[in-house]
Amino acid sequence: MINIDGMIAETAAKIFTDLCGRDVPHQAEAGQYPQNLWDALQDNGLPLAWVSEENGGFGASYDEVLGAIWVSAQAASPVPFVETLIANWLLDHSGMAMAEGAASFALVQNDSAAISFFGAADHIIAYTAEKNTIALYRAADLAPNDIQSLSPDGEQQIDFSAAKPLESQSTNLSQRAVEALILTVRAVQMAAAMEAALNLSIGYVSDREQFGRPLSKFQAIQHQLSVAASESAAATMAATQAASVLAKNIENPERAWHEAVVAKVQIGHSVEAVTVPFHQVHGAMGYTQEYDLHHFTRRLWAWRDSLGNEHHWGRLLGAELAVTSPDQVWKGVTTGAWVAS
Amino acid sequence: MQRFQFPVVQPDPALEELREDLQTFLKAERAAGNFQPEPECWMASSDPAFSKKMGDKGWIGLTWSSQYGGHDKTALERYIVTEETLRAGAPVGAHWIADRQHAPMLLEHGTEDQKLDILPRIAAGQCYFAIGLSEPGAGSDLANVKTKAEKVDNGWKINGQKIWSSGAHISHYMVALLRTSPADGRNRHVGLSQIMIDLSLPGVTIKPITDLSGDAHFNEVYFEDVIVPDDCLLGAEGGGWKQVTGELAMERSGPERFLSSYITLETALYQLQGKMGSDSHGRLGKIFANLRTLRGMSWGIANLLHQGISPETEAALVKDLGNRLENDCTLQVRALLNDLPVKEWSDEMRRILNIGILRSPPNTLRGGTTEVMRGITARQLGLR
Repeated sequence: MINIDGMIAETAAKIFTDLCGRDVPHQAEAGQYPQNLWDALQDNGLPLAWVSEENGGFGASYDEVLGAIWVSAQAASPVPFVETLIANWLLDHSGMAMAEGAASFALVQNDSAAISFFGAADHIIAYTAEKNTIALYRAADLAPNDIQSLSPDGEQQIDFSAAKPLESQSTNLSQRAVEALILTVRAVQMAAAMEAALNLSIGYVSDREQFGRPLSKFQAIQHQLSVAASESAAATMAATQAASVLAKNIENPERAWHEAVVAKVQIGHSVEAVTVPFHQVHGAMGYTQEYDLHHFTRRLWAWRDSLGNEHHWGRLLGAELAVTSPDQVWKGVTTGAWVAS
Repeated sequence: MQRFQFPVVQPDPALEELREDLQTFLKAERAAGNFQPEPECWMASSDPAFSKKMGDKGWIGLTWSSQYGGHDKTALERYIVTEETLRAGAPVGAHWIADRQHAPMLLEHGTEDQKLDILPRIAAGQCYFAIGLSEPGAGSDLANVKTKAEKVDNGWKINGQKIWSSGAHISHYMVALLRTSPADGRNRHVGLSQIMIDLSLPGVTIKPITDLSGDAHFNEVYFEDVIVPDDCLLGAEGGGWKQVTGELAMERSGPERFLSSYITLETALYQLQGKMGSDSHGRLGKIFANLRTLRGMSWGIANLLHQGISPETEAALVKDLGNRLENDCTLQVRALLNDLPVKEWSDEMRRILNIGILRSPPNTLRGGTTEVMRGITARQLGLR
């Protein structure tokens, strides 16, 4: 489940409603970082929600934290709330102390990783599957290489070959466990952003008049948004399914890998099916910096690429299915149970 | 807020046992040559002998009381049976419609005598029903029904014509939407009623319509002064529109809306074991993700219906997504098969793929066209 009615999500919702109104993402993009929003999230301990109690966090359930993540994505959060949650999850699952302040994470391959929200992070937590290590870096100690990001959150490429961590240790976290978490979190963000952009589109076509009537009364418009709504609903289902499996496998997150990949592939493929009609019904207005739609569509375009795009993950999934017996494939469809043949 | 809510329902071990029984039976039947698997089997593959076997196994009439020949189980058991028979491409067309919608309709609106007489025969796989909604002038514009039932002494006299009635040529009854009193000005939804018609009565003429592949599984049904007794009126006189739209909403999210072409994919998986290239892996991964997601939605809705909740919007969304997926599944198989030289395709692969392509057009028509579904969704989104 993605519990948007839990205490954590409600606290997050109150903070985002109060401090992340429609102007805030615009101002953030213009260089006015909403420090008060970040401070409020931090003062309420939200970036530590997933951290176990003995480590200073809430030890909150996946359901509840994913609910808060849903809320943050619908507010087009311009602060690294989700990145810090993931970074702290990595540290906590490796038995390391929490990083202070805002953080982001890196999945390092060949000494390199792309990091979202690097510019807003105090610390970077790097997971290197090849070495089974988790390392904590001070962001200021790393030399960023700006890469053109689709997202307003920004992305930096970091070369870790000569970087000196504050702390580094081996971890029991498997690559699949880490991927299961991150793919599920991104799936929840994407489903939430799709729904927010759908709501924006419904509101726009209801208000905007052309040819003497609201756009919403044109069947061509209705059908475009109906298709987008069905894809948005499917995204919610895929994200919810991945979230549920993750919540059931707290001790072994790698068991949630397949459903997380399913969500990644399902939602990644549906991005085009929603962003095209959302922009189409908005006309030129949706293409402007001034309007809000791009807060969601640009993030959708960026998130579908994070950790590799839907084609990459579709091939990984398909390669496994191709050598699995058809009986097991069917079992996967109906029960989500994966047993290698 | 969260606009769309689908409960995630974990598999139930008791249901998985039922699934294994089905799989064992279906594999044995197929191996014995008792059926050849086909896509769209629930509409276009009928075999009364097979339906009787399903009845003997206790797999029809799962949801109703044993007092009427049923098996006192739930809609969730029925879901497992339907998805396994669809997966196998088994010839379940004869009993499908009666089991899915007419038996529940009789349970709600039928007389005690009708229930005792008809329901046990449906559960035995020996009594079939056809749907009587469409007419030459009433398709998506369903309220334009012209076929009339006039009140006569002790019954109703029916005149007119229904069309596209799948399976009417082998069915015992039709439940038809008929005009029993005039429309109220421009409100055409009033004055429509549902009436059960014994298709063996004098005045009933059934003419098969041949589809583009040469099969004849749907029909024109003519009524000329057909007299049915009073108790064949199901539900309230004039309440037909509300009953029909309610039923349609219930049946739009079932597995037949997205699994009808799974047999085509599964046949290809057997053909292509270990032979797929990376392009095919990508396609297979996508189609699997779509299937898994839709199955989650459909199963979630089945569980809501089981609790007495009817999520109309979500059901319409599943039908639109599911019908597109069914056709995409067939198309993707064409691409996957490029990994195998054509001369290595089994005859069965070719047969199933061709049937799948030829039977694809009505997927997005029956049970409400894509355009009707999108209109329903638009209304729920507040756009109409």
